[in-house]
Amino acid sequence: MKKLALIIVAGVLVGVPQAFGQHGRGGAPTTGGPQSEGGKLIASFEYPPIEWQVPAVGRDVTRYEMGNGMVVYLKEDHTLPEFRINAMIRCGSLYEPAEQAGLSQLVGTVMRSGGTEKLNPDSLNVALEFIAASIETSIGSESGSASLYCLSKDIETGIRLFADVLRRPAFSQDKLDLAKEQIRKNIKGRNDQPGSIVAREFDHVVYGNHPWGRILEWETVKQITRDDLVAYHAKALAPNQILLGVTGDFNSGKVKKALEKAFGDWKKSAQPAPARPAVAADFKPGVYFIERDVNQTNIRFGHLGIDNKNEDRYAVSVMNFILGGGSFNSRMTSKVRSDEGLAYSVGTRYETGSNDLGTFYAFCQTKSSTTIKALDLMKSEVDRIRQAPVSDDELEMAKDSYINRYVFQFTSANQIVGQLMSLEFDDRPRDLLEVYIAKVRAVTKEDVHRVAQTYLHPDKVSYVVVGKKAELDGDLATLGQITAIELADPVVD
Amino acid sequence: MKRIAILTLSALVCLSAAQAKEIELNVKRKVLPNGMRILVMENPTAPVVSTYMRYNVGSVDEKPCITDTAHLLEHMMFKGTHTLGTKNFDAEKPIMIEIDRLAHAWEAEKAKLLSPYAGGSQEKADALRDSIAALQDTQKEYVIKDELWGLYLKNGGTGLNASTGQNSTQYYVQLPKNRLELWAYMEADRIAHPVLREYYSERDVVYEERRLRTENSPTGKLWEQFNATAFLAHPYGWPVVGWAADISTVMREEVEEFFIRYYAPNNCVVGIVGDVKAEEVFALCEKYFGPIPSQPPPDPVFTSEPEPAGEKRIEVEYDAEPSVMIGYMATQLGDPDQAVLQVISSVLTDGRTSRLYKRLVDGKIAQNVWSGDPGLVRYPDVFVLGASPLEGHTCLEIEEAVYDELDKLKQAPVSAWELEKVRNQVEAAFINQLNSNTGMASRVASWEMMTGDWNNLVKHRDATLAVSADDIVRVATKYFEKKRRTVATLVKPAKSEEVTKPQASR
Repeated sequence: MKKLALIIVAGVLVGVPQAFGQHGRGGAPTTGGPQSEGGKLIASFEYPPIEWQVPAVGRDVTRYEMGNGMVVYLKEDHTLPEFRINAMIRCGSLYEPAEQAGLSQLVGTVMRSGGTEKLNPDSLNVALEFIAASIETSIGSESGSASLYCLSKDIETGIRLFADVLRRPAFSQDKLDLAKEQIRKNIKGRNDQPGSIVAREFDHVVYGNHPWGRILEWETVKQITRDDLVAYHAKALAPNQILLGVTGDFNSGKVKKALEKAFGDWKKSAQPAPARPAVAADFKPGVYFIERDVNQTNIRFGHLGIDNKNEDRYAVSVMNFILGGGSFNSRMTSKVRSDEGLAYSVGTRYETGSNDLGTFYAFCQTKSSTTIKALDLMKSEVDRIRQAPVSDDELEMAKDSYINRYVFQFTSANQIVGQLMSLEFDDRPRDLLEVYIAKVRAVTKEDVHRVAQTYLHPDKVSYVVVGKKAELDGDLATLGQITAIELADPVVD
Repeated sequence: MKRIAILTLSALVCLSAAQAKEIELNVKRKVLPNGMRILVMENPTAPVVSTYMRYNVGSVDEKPCITDTAHLLEHMMFKGTHTLGTKNFDAEKPIMIEIDRLAHAWEAEKAKLLSPYAGGSQEKADALRDSIAALQDTQKEYVIKDELWGLYLKNGGTGLNASTGQNSTQYYVQLPKNRLELWAYMEADRIAHPVLREYYSERDVVYEERRLRTENSPTGKLWEQFNATAFLAHPYGWPVVGWAADISTVMREEVEEFFIRYYAPNNCVVGIVGDVKAEEVFALCEKYFGPIPSQPPPDPVFTSEPEPAGEKRIEVEYDAEPSVMIGYMATQLGDPDQAVLQVISSVLTDGRTSRLYKRLVDGKIAQNVWSGDPGLVRYPDVFVLGASPLEGHTCLEIEEAVYDELDKLKQAPVSAWELEKVRNQVEAAFINQLNSNTGMASRVASWEMMTGDWNNLVKHRDATLAVSADDIVRVATKYFEKKRRTVATLVKPAKSEEVTKPQASR
């Protein structure tokens, strides 16, 4: 724990871009051919083919549905004497009204921390920790999650406690109070790091009053009561709203029986899944400036992007890799970081897996006196990729990278089950993982150029900037109308 | 996906029962004639391989005035070699020599500017800076940007990165299993023939890294000040990322000298875990790393921390929520007390049943609480605890609760239940960590590097399982005394006037 804090990493903080699905084959030689002696030598290496298949339900993973609609994915893996269940639950803060903001999060926390009808919080903790097992729950924006980890000798106990937490949480008042105090403290400290300010305010500008842009306030959290949690649980937690992914060292027959015993008599809910509030596709161009006493400006600029049904998403990913997603080998990182030494972490993200409109943004942190210089360089890269087609080398680098590393999406039973289960949870085409590699391979330079022109909107950019105005190297007003965002004490009782 | 129902004995582990103690790690070890050690674990569950190269050099090996050298060098190791990242190294060489010459003149001029008596000239300094920039542009005609990184990416490399700590520097990447030769070639090339090109812009990058992680981060700032307070003499006291003034003045030649001294095959351990055959890995390593000559081993750090003279305290002013770090000067790896400190850390802060969690978090005094034993360290280091108070509570209350709990450890043996719980968790953690190829590659390589035998990681686990309640009383009494203590507290700077903004704002 301690040592981690002292370690410094060379790479950009952003890592490599978000991977998407496909199988593996050696990369084609670079069109132009390598220009270095070493590169030429490496190009002569032959890599024996790797045999592997994208996993599929039925062949690699068993799926069945219980009488009450609970869906179970199973994959035995006897490598190590462990057992895991990961549950995905159809609920989330996306569906909560503004005046109840924070309720989903509290349910997610206190469902576990507040104990169960049979075991008070301390007894539940004792029961789990003594056998080195863990159960954790949380509720995010679009899904809830519950996980069990235990040694395979403890499967029965594990499943029993897991079912109790999901079905019969006690929501102890004491632990609700604790969870609220914790949230209060988080709200209080939300301006401590420039990085959290810029991320939060960017989402708020781009999504406005949609739940994705919402900023959690103590005002609403403090009013939430235990009754609210109990009512939420009664409504949202139902077997037909839950998918279970089960992996590890177990016997399928025995585990099916144990699951039937633990969950079989849980009544189905007749409640329809809640409707999604849609993201309004409007843009809020301008400069949103937040004054802080810092010596490094934190920048995030961008706009609404695309959703995961958009067939251009493969080309968009490739385009983004070349623009700023491909770490050191992307244009923006190469220019701003490597050539000019202006930032440690700089690049772009283009979300392509979102169920509604995601975002495109560029990010950077640079000393106050090079803020405008860095912004100009970043902007010019966005313009450049819209103006002219990318090179063959750039295209191949991006595609090969996605294709060759696809295998890493499926390296453990747990990961495989998670990938397949997510397809069903998000109601995505079931062959999505299978076809991905072909889709990436099919992306052309023309596609990249077209999507850059279609899905990058330099004229509609929202710039969110956290910095010290007096020390900047120029005037932010050249980017657009400036709106100052005031950060006062976030918790006022 | 290749399906493997049950691993055979040739695999990652010999698994006969659901007990960590009965799991044997199947590590194959080879020492090349030049002293480089290669450790391989075959794990056929997926057609991938994790590589981890650990060099026995970190910020602890630096000297004052050139702090950050180890870390800056790690950045520079991605800049290529005589034959990677360049179209023509011979053409680059004279340009680099000239840049170095101008850089010395530039640094000298900048240094003069710091004193009103030295007669430095800003114009002269700027002119030198511009001349360097012009030469850098000339060099760019020959540079192929980030070719090494790009070759890894193109070939499916993930988790590609490197890190520098106080004790070591490591380079890692995961690849599809058939790309191991690419790894061997490039890693050997960069320790045999590295070129520290694009140095001065990278130095600026590192300065931005410092601004990001330390100067504008409350946690980063608190850690830096804590270490600097805890250590008077030992280099564990300076930040891995270096002091600001050092970053902006360390010269390329100094970084190169550091490379020459510390990057040798006999100062390196390689861990490889994945769907590979050990014999094939050994052959590849022999082919590519074999020709690199070994070197006389570098000196250890001779400075040692003097006996503590009394408690040290610092208030770190920063506009953020308060938090506190408490450290006790403890010990180093190889001391049997280390295993005891690990168990103590677990009893205090691991999980919701731990003593300090119950008292501070369940007690609604702190938002969180954590602790850590020194871990894999070459020289005596501190046992640290940290926490942040909830609204209405203070760091002082946290300190009092922590001292009280530490006193309890000295006064009465921990319960049999607590000890058994910790043992169960140690065993399960040992099993759980086998899930990660990268984690295992790093673990075996690190233990081999630190102790000369990777199997000490198993022995250390057994030592941890053997810790008794009496050991805890003894070790707690030995280290948790006021004199050995350093306390760093993050406090808000006093405001000249209280500004309140009633409107809805963030």
